[in-house]
Amino acid sequence: MWASPEEHAAVSAFLAHEAEAIDSRDYATWLSLVDDDFTYQVPVPRTPDNPFTPHYDLRSMLIDESKWSLESQWFRRLDRDLYELSWAENPPVRFRHFVSNVRVRRTENPKLLDVRSNVMLIGTRQSDAPKFLTGERSDVISIIDNGYRLARRWVVLDQVVIDFPQLRIML
Amino acid sequence: MSEVESDGPVSVLRRTWGDEEVFVRELDRVFKHSWQFLAHDSEIPDPGDYVQRRMGRDRVIVVRSEDGVIRVFLNTCRHRGVPLCRADEGNSSHFRCSYHGWTFANTGVLRGVTYQPDVYGRDGIDKSELGLFEPAHVDTFLGMVFATWDQDAVPLREYLGDLAWYLEALMGKFDDGLEVVGTPVRNIVKANWKTEGENLSGDGYHTMVTHATAVELGLFATPKDLEKLTEVVTPRFTGRTVDCGNGHTIRVQRLPVEIEGNQYWGYPEEMWEQFDRNLSPEQQQVMSALSVCHGSVFPNMSFIENFKTNVDGPGLHARYFRITVRYPISATHCEQLWFLLQPRNADPQWRRLSAQAYLRTNGPSGMFEIDDTENFVGISEASVGEVARDKSITYLGGLKNPKTPSDVGWPGDVVDGDKTEKTLRAFHRQWAVMMDDDVVVS
Repeated sequence: MWASPEEHAAVSAFLAHEAEAIDSRDYATWLSLVDDDFTYQVPVPRTPDNPFTPHYDLRSMLIDESKWSLESQWFRRLDRDLYELSWAENPPVRFRHFVSNVRVRRTENPKLLDVRSNVMLIGTRQSDAPKFLTGERSDVISIIDNGYRLARRWVVLDQVVIDFPQLRIML
Repeated sequence: MSEVESDGPVSVLRRTWGDEEVFVRELDRVFKHSWQFLAHDSEIPDPGDYVQRRMGRDRVIVVRSEDGVIRVFLNTCRHRGVPLCRADEGNSSHFRCSYHGWTFANTGVLRGVTYQPDVYGRDGIDKSELGLFEPAHVDTFLGMVFATWDQDAVPLREYLGDLAWYLEALMGKFDDGLEVVGTPVRNIVKANWKTEGENLSGDGYHTMVTHATAVELGLFATPKDLEKLTEVVTPRFTGRTVDCGNGHTIRVQRLPVEIEGNQYWGYPEEMWEQFDRNLSPEQQQVMSALSVCHGSVFPNMSFIENFKTNVDGPGLHARYFRITVRYPISATHCEQLWFLLQPRNADPQWRRLSAQAYLRTNGPSGMFEIDDTENFVGISEASVGEVARDKSITYLGGLKNPKTPSDVGWPGDVVDGDKTEKTLRAFHRQWAVMMDDDVVVS
C-alpha cells in the first residue's frame, strides 16, 4: 500500500539529505542516518539469456558492507590522518547523486517502509570527463521518533561492464 | 619442465604501456599464439550451459556441448558474421542467427539453413564445410578452461610449466574442488592490459606503500593478530618469488611465525586434514601459514590466495581465492573480469566471511584494489607522451636475492625474498620473445 503524500515528501527529503551527506563527504552525518544493523549490497549485473530472469546474479556481489565495515574501514580510510595514503581517493573522485522516481510503500511492520528509487551516480576523477552509473535502489527505511533511519540498501546496476573512475561507490 | 635461461630484461620502453602500434602487434603476436584463460568448468556444469568470453578482442562462446565436451566457438555466424549469442550466460542446445536464421548445434555443426532450396538449390551448400570457427586447441587444467588459436602450440600442461605445481597447491587441495561463485564482475580499467598482471605476477615491493591505509586498518596480519593464533611471532614476513618459465610467475609470502606442523589459518579447521592429504609436503609448505600468494599465467590471467584479518570484526580472519583476466581493448584500456572461487561444500558461514574478505580488500570495490588501480591507470596515462614513450621503466629489484636451495623442492627458478621484480622480468622476457621487436631496451 502506498504511503501518504506527506510521508512520501518526508522520505524524499530524507533521501536528499542522505545523498547530500555522501556527496559532501560528511560521513559522520551519514552514519547518524543509518541503523546499527544496516547492510549495503550490490549484486553483480549480467545479461542473462532469459529475459524473464533478473539482470543481476543473487549468488555474487559487487559490494557487501555493513555499518561496522563502512565506519571502521570504508570511511575510516578517509579520515584526515589516513587520507594522504588513500591513493585512489586522494584527490577524491567527485560524486554527485541524482535520486528520482521515489516510491514509498508501507509494509506489514508499521515501523518499516519499503522505499524504491532510481539513482544516477556521476563520478569525476581528477581532470577526466565525468562517468555515470544508473540503477534501482530498494531501501528499507525505519521510522523513528523524530524522523527516519536507513535500515538496508540494495542496488541493482544497469551497466554490466562497469565503466566508472573507481568502484568503491555508495550508490 | 621448462628451462629458465636468464633472469630477463631490466629496462623496457614506456611505449609498451600506451602505444597503439605496440598494442596491435601484441594482439597478433602475443594473444593469437598464447593459451588464454576463458572460464572455469563449474560455470558450465550441464550440457548446453554457455558463457560468453573473449580471446584477445574476439568474442567467443564457451559451451558444454550435448556430448559433455567443452568447446569454444568464435561468436559469429558463418554466413554473414552476426553474433550468435548476445547474453553473457545461458543454456542452449543450438545457436540460431538472428539475421537469416542459420542454426548451429552446440557442437558447432551447421544444422539448419533456412529456405535452402530457394536460396542455394537442393545441393548448393555443403553444411559440413560451414561449422563454427574454433580455436586450434581447447584444454582444461584443474577446471580452468584455456584455448589457443596456434596450431603449433605446446600442450596446455607443458605451457604452464613449473607453475602447474603451484596451481595444484592453490586449487587442488580441496576434496570437492573449487567452484566459481556466480557471474563474474566485469569492468573497464583505463590502463594497459599488462599493468595489473605485472603487479600480480609477484610484486611484493609495493604492498606497504600502495596499501598503507589497508595495513593501518588491520586487514594485513599484525603481530597482535598473530599472537592470538600462535606462540612464536617473528619480526619479518618472509617469502619467495618464482620464475616458472614461459612468462608464468608466482610470489609466496609467509606469515612471520614459527610453528609446528601446518597451520592453514583462514580456512575452517575441519578442512585442514584434506589439505595435508591432497598436497605433497613441499606444497603444504607453500600453503601453510600463508599470508598471500599470487601470480600470473602469461599473458593476461592472474590468481591470488590471500589471508585477510579482521574483515568483518576483530578476530574474524579468512582466506579467499580469486582469478582475474584482462581483455585488451586499446593501448590504454582493458576489460577486467573478476572470479571468486570457493571450495564446494565448505561451511556457508565461512564462505560468507571469505567473500567479504575478498570484496572488501581485493574485490573490484576493495580498498587494496582501488589503490592499485590508480597506479595502473597512471602508468598508461604517463606513457603516451612523445618524450615519455621513449624513456624506460626500471626492473632492477631483487637481482641480488639469493637462490632458494633446490632441496627445498619448489620447482622453477626460485629466490628467497618477496620484494623482487624477478617476476616482472620473467613476464617481459617472454613478451619480448613473442613480440620480436626492439621495445625491450636491455
